[in-house]
Amino acid sequence: MINYKLLKNFDLPLFLLSLLLAGYGLVVIYSATHVMDIPESFFFVRRQAMWLGAGVVGVFLLISIDYINLSSWARYIYMLSLVLLGAVLVMGQGADVQRWINLGFIDIQPSEYAKLALIIVLARVLSEKESELATNFWMMVPTLFYTALPMGLVFLQPDLGTAMVFVIILLGLLYIAGVNFKYILGLVAAAIAAFPFFWVRLAEYQQLRLMSFLNPDLDPMGAGYQLMQSMIAIGSGGVWGKGLFDGTQVSLQFLPEQHTDFIFSVLGEELGFAGAIGLLVLFLLMIYRILLIGIHAKDSFGSLICSGVAVMFTFQVLVNVGMTMGIMPVTGLPLPFISYGGNSLLVNFLAVGMVLNVGMRRQKIQF
Amino acid sequence: MSKVMFRRLRFLLMIVLCLFFILGGRLAYLQIYQHEYYMFRAEENRFTKMPIPASRGKVLDQDGSELITNKPGFGVFLVDLDEGHDPQTLSFLADMLDMEKEEIKQAIHENRYTRYRPVHLKNVDHDTMAKISENRWQLHGVNIEVEPVRYYPYEEAGAHLMGFLSQAPPSDYFVDKWEQEGYNYREGDLVGQQGIEESWEAYLRGIDGEQLIETNSIGQAIDFLDREEPVPGNNLHLTLDIGLQEEIMNILEGKIAELHDDDNDYADRASAVAINTKNGAIKAMASYPSYDPNTVKDDIGELSDDHRFPMVNFALNGAYPVGSAYKMVTAAAALETGEVTESSRHNCTGSYSAVGTTMSCHSTHGRLDLRHAIAASCNIYFYKTGLDTGIDNLAHYTREMNLGKRTGFVDIPGETEGNVASREYKEEKYGERWYQAETMSAAIGQTYHRFTPLQLAAYTSIIANNGDHYRPFMVDKVESNEGEIIMESEPEILRQADITQQTFDIIQEGMLQVTAENRGTASHQFNDFPVEVAGKTGSVQIARGSNGIPPHSLFVAYAPFDDPEIALAVVIEHGGYGAESAAPVARDILEEYFQEEVEEEEENSDD
Repeated sequence: MINYKLLKNFDLPLFLLSLLLAGYGLVVIYSATHVMDIPESFFFVRRQAMWLGAGVVGVFLLISIDYINLSSWARYIYMLSLVLLGAVLVMGQGADVQRWINLGFIDIQPSEYAKLALIIVLARVLSEKESELATNFWMMVPTLFYTALPMGLVFLQPDLGTAMVFVIILLGLLYIAGVNFKYILGLVAAAIAAFPFFWVRLAEYQQLRLMSFLNPDLDPMGAGYQLMQSMIAIGSGGVWGKGLFDGTQVSLQFLPEQHTDFIFSVLGEELGFAGAIGLLVLFLLMIYRILLIGIHAKDSFGSLICSGVAVMFTFQVLVNVGMTMGIMPVTGLPLPFISYGGNSLLVNFLAVGMVLNVGMRRQKIQF
Repeated sequence: MSKVMFRRLRFLLMIVLCLFFILGGRLAYLQIYQHEYYMFRAEENRFTKMPIPASRGKVLDQDGSELITNKPGFGVFLVDLDEGHDPQTLSFLADMLDMEKEEIKQAIHENRYTRYRPVHLKNVDHDTMAKISENRWQLHGVNIEVEPVRYYPYEEAGAHLMGFLSQAPPSDYFVDKWEQEGYNYREGDLVGQQGIEESWEAYLRGIDGEQLIETNSIGQAIDFLDREEPVPGNNLHLTLDIGLQEEIMNILEGKIAELHDDDNDYADRASAVAINTKNGAIKAMASYPSYDPNTVKDDIGELSDDHRFPMVNFALNGAYPVGSAYKMVTAAAALETGEVTESSRHNCTGSYSAVGTTMSCHSTHGRLDLRHAIAASCNIYFYKTGLDTGIDNLAHYTREMNLGKRTGFVDIPGETEGNVASREYKEEKYGERWYQAETMSAAIGQTYHRFTPLQLAAYTSIIANNGDHYRPFMVDKVESNEGEIIMESEPEILRQADITQQTFDIIQEGMLQVTAENRGTASHQFNDFPVEVAGKTGSVQIARGSNGIPPHSLFVAYAPFDDPEIALAVVIEHGGYGAESAAPVARDILEEYFQEEVEEEEENSDD
């Protein structure tokens, strides 16, 4: 159970930052969705708020058990995530892409949970072999397999964005764990060499998105159109924005997926540079707190958990925000805490919960 | 914690900072540096301008009769449909409008990003409109709107002068001309083709209005904002007398039918031009056969297959050798160069041999002077006189009379120039030198001369005016919808023929004798005509050795002789001798023109 001494080390700022971000998200989701043709204007906000509640509960459940247990359970958690990812392919919901498992009252998106599972299993494997990582190339090979399995399953859905998140988590953790930098560079070089093989396996719309990222005028009414409309929304926001609920790009629905993938464009249009920079500062503070906890963790496993979460958030913010501004390709990665999507929100809170857990138990000896 | 991990965690923090710095920089670039550009793009997204078509100006004749007007038509529109539109409505509509379902689907598909704009499917008649209205309840999204349709009440009578509207792309010449007149053509615009509709496009079309609309991402109208009203097109008042024009068309058609009844299967085209000699105003310009501009869109296939070329205005674009109607030019050339005087006589024995060839006359006229030679149309007299005068002088005076040369008529596009028989022409065209025998033929209007009916009317008018050549015109004035005069035509003397009055007097008297004296070739047709008419017949044998093919029949005339008002040219292709077809047609036309005088005469003779 949680005793008082543990609560003393509970990182309140990190927890508040996550609540603040989620609250910010609710407001923007309302703005993006109340203009849509939906049964009632709070439809999306209410659902998101319920997931937020689940997230907060999840955080407290998670911090009540010592994170060391996660290390022991790592392989089971990892296996469960693979089973769920496999189940998606068998009984998944969705027309062209399969991402969800319908449990009747709820849709589960296993690829979100698989991110946490991967962080846990990699942290475990790397922390065990920490001393040899700098000198023995073969020590990191098992991590490649651990990553390749979920990546392959996600790739089949197909969900290019999440597959990339797995790769970044792997690279981030290899680096932090102390793997010789030359080995990592070699790995990246090999991945780039293998790229043409992946390219031909991509669906046409994915190829088009990547190409239109390189040249937005390629397809003005398709993928490039989304990007152009997003940049118009953000650029037209100016310093102070057009005012909450007053975005014309938003209300006339020029923005594609404006409550999920392109929610940052809504925020940029309505709240301007001030609101967008504000959001980025909140993210930066959050990632800073996470890394700080990682630095002060009592063991490598804890440090690697924090690093993995920090890398995951950083990458998703970078890719999602970068995408809306035309400096990253259009992938379906959600903006953590902000984009509409319950599974993503819950997973983000659970990730924060793991970090809080590491922070609470940073002293090696408890009295 | 190992030192390596600590260092690397710190480094990771630095990388995160850098990445966020890049995001922030990009944000500042878009939202601050490029803000104005994206603001403009956002507005452009939001607002669309929908044109409100201006009503096109009317065209009226000299008495205000409407030659071209707009009548209400019914347009079937689809409003704000998505592509998965109700298939039943589609089948019903396709049936009703006699269109393919795919065609309608395609129209909806093309409109998918501009859904504020109703899709125009088709214009329908009153009955179809009524049927669609009755079934309104099952035709969601189908609207019927009253839309002006261009209407030509006189149908075939003035078709070549009026032209018609079409979306076919106009020539660069007209695009440039319209631009100078203030209208910028855009692809797909419905514009005038041929006739007044084409050359006066910029004046007739008016200025489209604009409705500013706020639209969403799929082009549905959200809000209607500023509206700029269209400015209706201007009305054109023509010099044309539509009564005369219609009557001429009837007379020409009747004459062709009559010729066919007489087993002349070659006669199938005829044209006539009537000009006011006092100012150059065109009273009528008829070309038979014609077409109906109201239905030309549906008839176009049939019309272009017709070997008679019904869509060509032969009064403006037909170039003919004119035979004896040319003899006034030879007379003028000979008189001006002193080769003959008014009393010079030649003897016509029915044939004439000179420069190694023998030419004949249609009769044996005996000794005759110039006036008599014109009246009786003696070929021998003009062979001899032409030879004496020489081809160079003939060519010079042909141009003085404005034949084989554009008349300056610009109200309808594309006047044909024709050509003048001359040494230079033959050299240039055939690379051959001129033979003297050809001078004899040229002197009676054959060989290489090619003149249009409009030129013939202008030439007759020059003779009637003692040398003044007025620019022929058809648009009298342009009036705005509010009645303000925008433009008014002034009679314009383009040129004065360098020919003496004495010469004109002699020629005119000769032409009067054609109708007024027994020896005149058309005296029979005009013997009881109440107005004194100066005229000249012409007959042109087209191909040598083609016996049995009747010659073109021509007649030129002006009247009244003392104080000329009207100059007339009539050409009936393969109509026979001039006196056979063209002269009676000219008489019928003049009878229509001088209706009052004719009726007065009839009353007098009844007493």
